[in-house]
Amino acid sequence: MAPIKEVKSMSSLISMTKHREIRTILFLVLLFLIVGIVNPDFLAISNIENAVKNSLLYIVLAVGITFVLLTGEIDISVGGILGLSAAVSGMFLRDGGSVFLAILMAIVIGGVIGLINGLGVTKLRISSFIMTLGMLEITRVVQVIYTNGKWVENLPKTFKQLSQSSILGVNTLGIIVIAAVILIHFFLVNSRRGRYFAAIGDNQDGAVLIGIPVKRYKILAFVISGICAAVAGLIFASQIGFISTTAGAGIEMTVIAAAVLGGVSLSGGIGSVIGASIGAIIMSSINSALVFLKVPAFWNSAISGLLLIIIVVADVLIVRRANKKANKERLNARILNYQEGA
Amino acid sequence: MLRKIPKWNLVLFLILVTEIIIFGLLNPRFWNIHVLLNSFNDFIGIAIIAFFVTFVIITGGIDISGGAIIGLTSVIVGILSQVAGVNIWAAVLLAVAAGGLCGLLNGVLIAYARVQAMVITLGGMLLYSGVALVLVGLSGASTYEGISGFSQGFINLANGKLFGIPHSVFIFLVLLVFAYLLLHRTRYGRYIYLTGINQNSAEYSGIDTRKIITSTYVLSGLSAGVAGVILTSYLGSARADFGAEYLMPILTAVVLGGTLITGGKGGVVGTALASIIIGFLKLGLQMGGIQTQYIGLATGLLLIISVAFLGVPDFKSNIKRLVTIKKDRGGKLNA
Repeated sequence: MAPIKEVKSMSSLISMTKHREIRTILFLVLLFLIVGIVNPDFLAISNIENAVKNSLLYIVLAVGITFVLLTGEIDISVGGILGLSAAVSGMFLRDGGSVFLAILMAIVIGGVIGLINGLGVTKLRISSFIMTLGMLEITRVVQVIYTNGKWVENLPKTFKQLSQSSILGVNTLGIIVIAAVILIHFFLVNSRRGRYFAAIGDNQDGAVLIGIPVKRYKILAFVISGICAAVAGLIFASQIGFISTTAGAGIEMTVIAAAVLGGVSLSGGIGSVIGASIGAIIMSSINSALVFLKVPAFWNSAISGLLLIIIVVADVLIVRRANKKANKERLNARILNYQEGA
Repeated sequence: MLRKIPKWNLVLFLILVTEIIIFGLLNPRFWNIHVLLNSFNDFIGIAIIAFFVTFVIITGGIDISGGAIIGLTSVIVGILSQVAGVNIWAAVLLAVAAGGLCGLLNGVLIAYARVQAMVITLGGMLLYSGVALVLVGLSGASTYEGISGFSQGFINLANGKLFGIPHSVFIFLVLLVFAYLLLHRTRYGRYIYLTGINQNSAEYSGIDTRKIITSTYVLSGLSAGVAGVILTSYLGSARADFGAEYLMPILTAVVLGGTLITGGKGGVVGTALASIIIGFLKLGLQMGGIQTQYIGLATGLLLIISVAFLGVPDFKSNIKRLVTIKKDRGGKLNA
C-alpha cells in the first residue's frame, strides 16, 4: 500500500511542477498577445528577437541562481559579482588584453567568490541570505577600489561584437544560451548528480541519510551561481559597451523575482531552469511592453512588484486548493475501500 | 546584577566602548559628545526600523521592504503637504499610516496566505518603491531634486534640539523603550517569542499566531513610515529613493544585535547597541578620512564576521537556550 501512495504523490508532484511551467509560459504568451493587440509592432519578429536578446543577461543569472535556490539557499551577491567581474575583465580588455584571458579571468573571479559564499554557508553555517548580502556589499566596494571609482569605457570593438554576431540571422549568443539552458535542464532532471540539487533542497536530512555529499553540492551550487554571474557580467559588458560603478545594482532582486515567477520555490527542491528562464524573459519584457503600451517608464517597478505578488499568491492558493482536493479524494477512496472490505 | 544582563549585550557594549576609544585616539574630535550625539541623525532611520524588524525576525520571518517604505512615506509627506496642500502634520500621520498599511499587506499575505516572507517582502520592496516613483511621476515633481520647501516646524522635527541634545536622540530612546517594553515586558512580546520558537506549539496553546505574525509586519511598516518622515524632515526634501541602501545596515544591526535569523531568540537592546556601533563605525571611518563608498566593506565584513562568530557554536547555543529558558521562567528570553 505504502509504495503505491508514494508513487502517486510523486507523480502528482511532477504534474504539479509541469503545470507551473505551463502556467508561466501561458502568462508570457498572454502578455505578448495583450500588448500585441494594443500595439501590433510588439509582435514583430525583430521585437521578439530583441526581447530575447535583452533577457539573455537575466536568463544566465536566473539559471545560476536556480541551482542555489534548488538546494534551499539563496544568493543575492550575483549583482556584485556581475559588476566586479565585468569591471576587472573590462579593464584588462581595455588595456589590450586578449579576449580569451579576459573571459577566463571573469569566470575565475565568479567561481572564487561563489566558493567563498559556499564555504561560509556550509562550513561557518552563516545563513546564506546574510552571507551573500555581506558579499554583495564587499564586492561592490572592491569594484570601486579596483576601478578607482571610474567607469570602464572604450572596450575593444572585437569584444563588443561578440554579442552582436549572428548565424543565419539569429543572434549567436542567444542560440548558445538557449542551448545551454536546455542542456542544463536535462542535466538537472535526468542525471543522478543533477537530481541531487533538488533532493538537498527538498529534504536535507534525507539527502544526508542516503549518502549525498550535501555540503559539497551546496558549495558547487554557489560556485555555479558565481560563474553564471560572471558570464552575465561579460554579456553585460559586451552588450552595453561600458561598465559603470553601479553596473548590476539591484539586479539580484529582479533575478530572484524572475526565478520565483518561473516557479522556483525559495524553500528549495522545486523548480527548473527553463521556468526560471521564462520568468527572466517576462521580467525583462515588462519594460519593453510598457514602452509599446506608451506607459511612462516610472510605472515599471510598481507593475513588476504587483505582478510578482499577485502571481505568487495566486499560485500558492491554487496549489493549496489542489492539495486539499487531492487529500479529500484520497480520504474518500480509503473510506470506500474500507466499506467494501467490511 | 551583572548576571541579569545578557552576555552578548555586554560584548556589544564593550565593542562600542572600544570603538569610541580607538576612533578617539585616531581623531580626538570623535570624543566630542556633540559630534557623537549629532551622528544619531545619520542612523536613526536604520535604528528605528531595525527595532521592529527584530520583532519580525524573532517570529521567524524577514522583512526587506523597510527601505522601500521609507521612500514611499517620504514621497507621500512631500506630495500631500507641498502639492496637495494638506496640513503638514496631517500629511505626516497619513504617511505613517500608509507605512502601516504596507506592513499590513505584507503581514496578511505572509501569515494568512502563507507565502514565504522573503518573496512577499521582495515583491513589496519593488511595489512600494515603484508606487513612490509613480506618485512622483504623476505629481510632476523632479525625481532627482525631490520635493522641498517644507515649513520650519517640520524641519525642526529632526533638526531641532532640546537641552542641546538633538531630537533624534530622544526619538531613538523613546522608540527603544517602547519596543523594549512591548517585546520583553508584555504578554504580546512573549507570544512573539513563542511563535518564533515553535509556531505549532504556540498555536496549540491558543495563540492566534497569524495575528501575531501580521502585527509584527504592521509594526515594522509603521516604524519604516516614522523613519521616512524623520529622514524627510532631516534632509528637508522628499525623494523616492530615500532608504534604498538601508537593507544591509538594518539587517546588520538586527543580526549583530544577537537576534537569530532563524527566529526565536534576540532582543531590541542588542539591536539598539548594534545600530549605534554601526553608526559610530561609519562616523569614525569618515572622520578618519575614508571615503563614504568604501565604508560598505567594513559593514559587509562586520555582518559576515558577527554572524559567523554567533553561528559557529550553533549546537552550544541551542543547549544554552534550552537551559536558560528553563532557568528563568517568566524572565527575559534574550540571554
